[in-house]
Amino acid sequence: MSRAKRLMKELQAVRDDPAANITLEFISESDIHRLKGSFLGPPETPYQGGRFIIDIEVPMEYPFKPPKMKFDTKVYHPNISSVTGAICLDILKNAWSPVITLKSALISLQALLQSPEPNDPQDAEVAQHYLRDKESFSKTAALWTRLYASSNGGSGAPVEKEVDEARLYGIDPNLVKEFESQGFDKVKIVEVLRRLGIKSLDPTDNATINRIVEELLK
Amino acid sequence: MTDLESDDSLLLEFEDDDSESISNIDAPTDSKATHLDSDFANIPPHNVDTDDSEFDIDESQFSEDDLEDDYLVFPIKKTTKDLLDEDSLPSLKYECLTTQEIFDSMKRRVHHLQPVFSLPPQDILILMQRYDWNEERLLEEWTEKMDNLLIESGLNTSGESDGRGVKNGKEFFCPICCEEILTETFSLECGHEYCIDCYRHYIKDRLNHGKIITCMDCSLALKNEDIDQIMGGASSVKLMDSSIKSFIRKHSNSYKWCPYTDCKCIIHLKDTLSLQEYSRLHASRFVTCSMGHSFCFGCGFEIHAPADCRVTDQWVKKARLECENLNWVLSHTKECPRCSVNIEKNGGCNHMVCSSCRHEFCWICGGDWAPHGSSFYQCAIYKNEDKNKLVADTPKKTLRRYAFFYKMFTEHEVSAKLDWKLGETVGFKVKGLQEKIGVSWIEGQFLTESLKTLNEGRTALKWSFAVAYYSDPSHNLTKIFIDNQGLLSNAVESLSELLQIKSPEVIMKRRTEFYNKAGYVKNRTKALLECGRDLLRKGISKARE
Repeated sequence: MSRAKRLMKELQAVRDDPAANITLEFISESDIHRLKGSFLGPPETPYQGGRFIIDIEVPMEYPFKPPKMKFDTKVYHPNISSVTGAICLDILKNAWSPVITLKSALISLQALLQSPEPNDPQDAEVAQHYLRDKESFSKTAALWTRLYASSNGGSGAPVEKEVDEARLYGIDPNLVKEFESQGFDKVKIVEVLRRLGIKSLDPTDNATINRIVEELLK
Repeated sequence: MTDLESDDSLLLEFEDDDSESISNIDAPTDSKATHLDSDFANIPPHNVDTDDSEFDIDESQFSEDDLEDDYLVFPIKKTTKDLLDEDSLPSLKYECLTTQEIFDSMKRRVHHLQPVFSLPPQDILILMQRYDWNEERLLEEWTEKMDNLLIESGLNTSGESDGRGVKNGKEFFCPICCEEILTETFSLECGHEYCIDCYRHYIKDRLNHGKIITCMDCSLALKNEDIDQIMGGASSVKLMDSSIKSFIRKHSNSYKWCPYTDCKCIIHLKDTLSLQEYSRLHASRFVTCSMGHSFCFGCGFEIHAPADCRVTDQWVKKARLECENLNWVLSHTKECPRCSVNIEKNGGCNHMVCSSCRHEFCWICGGDWAPHGSSFYQCAIYKNEDKNKLVADTPKKTLRRYAFFYKMFTEHEVSAKLDWKLGETVGFKVKGLQEKIGVSWIEGQFLTESLKTLNEGRTALKWSFAVAYYSDPSHNLTKIFIDNQGLLSNAVESLSELLQIKSPEVIMKRRTEFYNKAGYVKNRTKALLECGRDLLRKGISKARE
């Protein structure tokens, strides 16, 4: 089986290049279809300092069909689903070529973290956040990296046990407090603000406030 | 109601300003009617234009005798003022093609382009593929970019073809499969060399994508000859096929696949502008592929005149929705109203004769046949039992109203299907005429013609119930429309009955009757279609939820 041979070669190539700081391993010895890969968050990005774990499924037709990859580590990025970890990247779909290896695919994912493509989003809410307020987006992404991808945990388990829901989605805590003081439930407020893509608000913007209240009353 | 005078007076009522034109009655369907029973596969694919030039040719094939009869059949043809403005519509220019014909025409275009590019045809084919077979855009970009365009398209600009092709067996390590074996290899000029097995795998996977296949490691394109060399045989045909398919998908406003199962015809509409005129007049653009399948170019549905695409869409959606609601199992059998024996309908005709008690009844209303045959065809009319109650339109009543129209629709659909079964026997009948009483094939065609007319009438009738359902029932024109339905129903039934005759002698004896009845059905169908279109145009019938 050429596929097994190729996979072994690919694994060896990863081991031979420790400087790349990439790992690639079978989940179990008996199954060559399933692997876990990981790489470091690129420096000078909100993902710096995190190790991101990728779930890899190798199809029967590999390397003529692309491997299925998704993030095991929760990550806040326009092209990666914040819920499922699904990735929107062309080389994993129609731009796949048999010369691409699992290692080079992982490096491409690393590059994706470096340069998001908000115009071709996987997670619309995150993409909107990125386009509207890049600074606030970066803070949230960095928070997620600290929470879920910090290298001392490594397994993707959050370090801090309790995280403020609002902070997790980059929502201004004062905005949530404001509505809480009006007697609304906090969970509901966060849910509505996320749905409307509102992270912070100008207190004089009555139209938006009314819209939020309307949604909250539903 | 067979006198045509009363017809004309009826039609006058919905004469429109734009129907003034003096026009030929020859509808596009007429022109192809004589082809119906001939072997379609043998007819070379030709431009199926909707002009009637073809009809003239066919007419010249008739003997003197037939010509005379011909005039008897279509008396209205002689009238100078045709009230049906069917012909005021722009004629649709379309052709029926196969993927092979499209590819051949592409190849011809490549040939034409060759002096411009001075490149081998294979290379131009790649360029054409890259530009989705859009010559103009390609030429535009060519004048702008020249060599860059070639590089972008993955063509080698160095002029050398060193290293391109399959190389003889040698000890080789392939980076794709990681095997080190004695094997043939392939590479393009770029020198990215892989074993032939991997290349085969790779190409096989991509043949159906309809895109240019490139080297696995760079953007250099594989030409058709490379693909054939690697795969052996003419595999590039498959790639061209999928490329043309994706071309059709991208140009779906002027190219459409025939929706019939397993039909490989493609209709190419040459003049898409006329479509707007069609939708303005609420007429649908029906096309016929060279296999004889007719369908609506707009929605890909079967012929649905007089309904337009919107009404059809609404109606079909509604039918799907209501189907569960009503759970209408309109069975193929009914009990004889007199002796309760189960009767299966085995022909399109609604005139039923119970095989057990000889009771004659109408399939649709279950009533005695006697009042149906000669007088007005009553059961096509939905009787609003109490007109005063119409204002308070309760949901139940709406449902009942829909139920009636839906029932009429399906009854005619079933009848149309059974008529097709009848059609199979018509072929035998024509043969019988030839063998038993020595009638020539062309003379026997009146049977096939009649069947076609019958089918058209039934289809129009069927869809007219969709239009009627959405019509304002209080409007005068709706009433005229319903009258028209009745008249056509009557005409269709009597023609259908005539087609049940088995004996060749009787058929020949009553030949004139066939002509007259078919002619009448034809005229009634036209009148109904025209009236339906008027309803839609004037907004009396409107598709709604």
